[in-house]
Amino acid sequence: MRTIIGILLTCDPAVKQILLSMNEKHSFIIEDLDDHHLVIKADEEYRVRKELEAELEKNTYSLE
Amino acid sequence: MSAKRTADESLYPTKRLRQNEDQEYIEIGNEDDAIPPSPPDTSLVPRAATINFSALTRKLAEARRAKENDPENLTSLEAHRRQQDSLVSHIFMDQDFSWLHLKPDHASRPLWISPEDGHIILEAFSPIAEQAQDFLTAISEPVSRPAFIHEYKLTSYSLYAAVSVGLQTEDIIEVLNRLSKVPVPESITSFIRERTLSYGKVKLVLKHNKYFVESNHPETLQLLLKDRVIREARLFSTQADNSIKAATFTTTKAPVKGNLVIPGTKEAEKKKDDTRPASSNAAGQTNGTSDADLFTSVVGVEGDEIDEDDENVHAFEIHDSKIDDVKKRCNELEYPMLEEYDFRNDTVNANLDIDLKPATVIRPYQETSLSKMFGNGRARSGIIVLPCGAGKTLVGITAACTIKKSCLVLCTSSVSVMQWKQQFMQWSNVTDRQIAVFTADQKEKFAGDSGIVVSTYSMVANTHNRSHESKKMMEFLTSREWGFILLDEVHVVPAAMFRRVVTTIKAHSKLGLTATLVREDDKIADLNYMIGPKLYEANWMDLAAKGHIANVQCAEVWCPMTPEFYREYLREQSRKRMLLYCMNPNKFQACQFLIKYHEDRGDKVIVFSDNVFALEAYAKRLGKLYIHGGTGQTERMRILSWFQHSPQVNTIFLSKVGDTSIDLPEATCLIQISSHFGSRRQEAQRLGRILRAKRRNDEGFNAFFYSLVSKDTQEMYYSTKRQQFLIDQGYAFKVITHLDGLEDLPDLVYRTKDEQIELISSVLLANESEADLGSDVRAGEGDLAGTVTSKDFGPMRFPAAQRTTGSLTALSGAQHMSYIEQNKSANKKLAREAAPRHKLFAKRDKEKAAARKEARTAGHP
Repeated sequence: MRTIIGILLTCDPAVKQILLSMNEKHSFIIEDLDDHHLVIKADEEYRVRKELEAELEKNTYSLE
Repeated sequence: MSAKRTADESLYPTKRLRQNEDQEYIEIGNEDDAIPPSPPDTSLVPRAATINFSALTRKLAEARRAKENDPENLTSLEAHRRQQDSLVSHIFMDQDFSWLHLKPDHASRPLWISPEDGHIILEAFSPIAEQAQDFLTAISEPVSRPAFIHEYKLTSYSLYAAVSVGLQTEDIIEVLNRLSKVPVPESITSFIRERTLSYGKVKLVLKHNKYFVESNHPETLQLLLKDRVIREARLFSTQADNSIKAATFTTTKAPVKGNLVIPGTKEAEKKKDDTRPASSNAAGQTNGTSDADLFTSVVGVEGDEIDEDDENVHAFEIHDSKIDDVKKRCNELEYPMLEEYDFRNDTVNANLDIDLKPATVIRPYQETSLSKMFGNGRARSGIIVLPCGAGKTLVGITAACTIKKSCLVLCTSSVSVMQWKQQFMQWSNVTDRQIAVFTADQKEKFAGDSGIVVSTYSMVANTHNRSHESKKMMEFLTSREWGFILLDEVHVVPAAMFRRVVTTIKAHSKLGLTATLVREDDKIADLNYMIGPKLYEANWMDLAAKGHIANVQCAEVWCPMTPEFYREYLREQSRKRMLLYCMNPNKFQACQFLIKYHEDRGDKVIVFSDNVFALEAYAKRLGKLYIHGGTGQTERMRILSWFQHSPQVNTIFLSKVGDTSIDLPEATCLIQISSHFGSRRQEAQRLGRILRAKRRNDEGFNAFFYSLVSKDTQEMYYSTKRQQFLIDQGYAFKVITHLDGLEDLPDLVYRTKDEQIELISSVLLANESEADLGSDVRAGEGDLAGTVTSKDFGPMRFPAAQRTTGSLTALSGAQHMSYIEQNKSANKKLAREAAPRHKLFAKRDKEKAAARKEARTAGHP
């Protein structure tokens, strides 16, 4: 049995849906706990944050 | 880094709730870096505004050290200044203006001018801000006018407009210098000198149906003729003596200004023999006397007639068809042409005997805008910008009544053609015979020598396949000389179409009217030479403060997507996505809550939805009346009259049809559930629906404007983009993330998960075409694209019949099957008769009818 280091993520339901859809392309979720909590692989954390940031940024209007 | 993070988190306060509290990495290498992040403020801070605090403090410390070493050979002021420079200059990089030193009494001066791009920043809270604003609107273009800090921009066109209303170069610089916190930078003064020097020297005049370029300075004309484009456009009159005359110009006396009174103003009422300029200064006179001297001398139009000294006017004729090229070329040569019309001395064109009705009184700002137009007793061409609901039509009509010549009114759709005609009849004493309509359905000519024609841009600009009648009508339009051409909603007309209109119709003066001088493409500059400079732009906040338009509270309500809807949203393609974020159950609930809340307050509510599918779903579920393109005319009228008169009907749902063509002064609250992407114009138009609220003058009255936005979707992006125009006008949008008391609402829709899932399945079943926006509104023939805010989707589609298999016994009810109509449209429940009137009126009507009957029987015994 191999040990996987996991991280508990707390998020709102909408962000969880984004994470789930990202997971379909590239799996990183270890356990889907409830609407607000997920356990994900620790070494994927940075990448996931980056991608999530980019995804959310798409809906923001800036003057530039 | 720390500052940026806080800004980010304040944007999404709930989303990334402390995902990593325990591992927030803080490395303290340098003491200066360990600055606690500033408390997250709730306002949206643009990225560029965040300052690198740690770097700043480090620099501060460095400078402090440097100061200690500095020799004491400078005066304290100099040292202080040098200090200031070195402190902050590097932070601002390209935008480092620390070399512009403040005047000692800068605190009492309200503005600052950027030496690079001519942007002017005004402190709107300064005691003399109001006068400064008057001056700035005259010489520059307002960019953004929120509550405290205004931004204006000096452009060639704005200076051109300033000169055309009679301001002098040196006065502009002088006043700027007085108001500015820093000495006016050299770059700006030279820019102003350069631009204003040549302005107003050349005029384009229409005489006897021919265009002439006129100037008091023969040298200027010679200079223009050296240009190839202009030389080619020149037309030699036949009687010209080829030897001498060809080189010289026709010379005539310059017109002199006389007394002119605009009807409907106080002057006209009192029959005072007063010239226009005096009244235009009325605003200035209310100011303190000392200030008034300064400003009226500059802002006023007294110092007009720049070239009065030279009595002779020189001119040469140019080709009709090349007008546009010549105008453009002149602009490039920096000799923009002024278009003025001396209508009182025009004896060639027949006068039109129209006047405003005696009861018509125009408002002060309408008077100001018109005084800019008729400043020197002649009619200038240009654009007047007034908010929706502030009476643009009346400005146009008053202008027509002042010029009293044949007038052509062009608008964007056949609906507004009828509205213009009706308004003309309402406000002025024009007779039915004098006003004619030219649309696809109606082609009339006025009786007599002069009159008014109302038409659409596309009818006039159309080049191909005309019917015989319209051809004849066009010949009628092009053959004559028009005193005045009124251009409604100028911002939507495509440049090419405009050019055709301007070149085919010969008009002495042009007036463009608009509420929103914004285009999603930046073609505004074209208008400047095709019509003329912007003569006047009203300040929305000012008008609201004076009670001409309603005070509006704007709010953006963030509705989180439910997980089910968001999952589908992420999976779907763009068109269906739109339907999903419109139908978000949380939005449904927010909408229901807001309607309930405002109905209880006694507000009349309009709910806007571009998407017809969502419109019907909302209205049916919430049991409200609705109108969209498919609603029949009689049903429409019935619903509207119920909304206006009955206390039982306080909410209606409107699709795009309500954006412009329906006028509902009763409405005091507006909720927007779906809209046309990022259209700033639509947002302004919709706000216009409640600006003319009847109750606006009640004390403490506020109208409300909500836009419901589904969080984490594209709607957030569009919503922010849409608001930009209104923000620039000074409106502030509050963000509401949570509606208090929403959960406690009895009979809240879609409360349970089951209901929500049912809703989502109905949305997913919906046709792809249901997601289209504004599919219900069809453009009429001759309507401009984009003005009815819809594409033409062709004839209305009817839903195809569905086939299912089933046994006849079952369908007829043998197997306990029963039919029930769910979500019945509230429209159907409406009683067929008109809204009930109050007993008092009903009684009065009855008595009147009885009296009439009696009189009739008495008359015929």
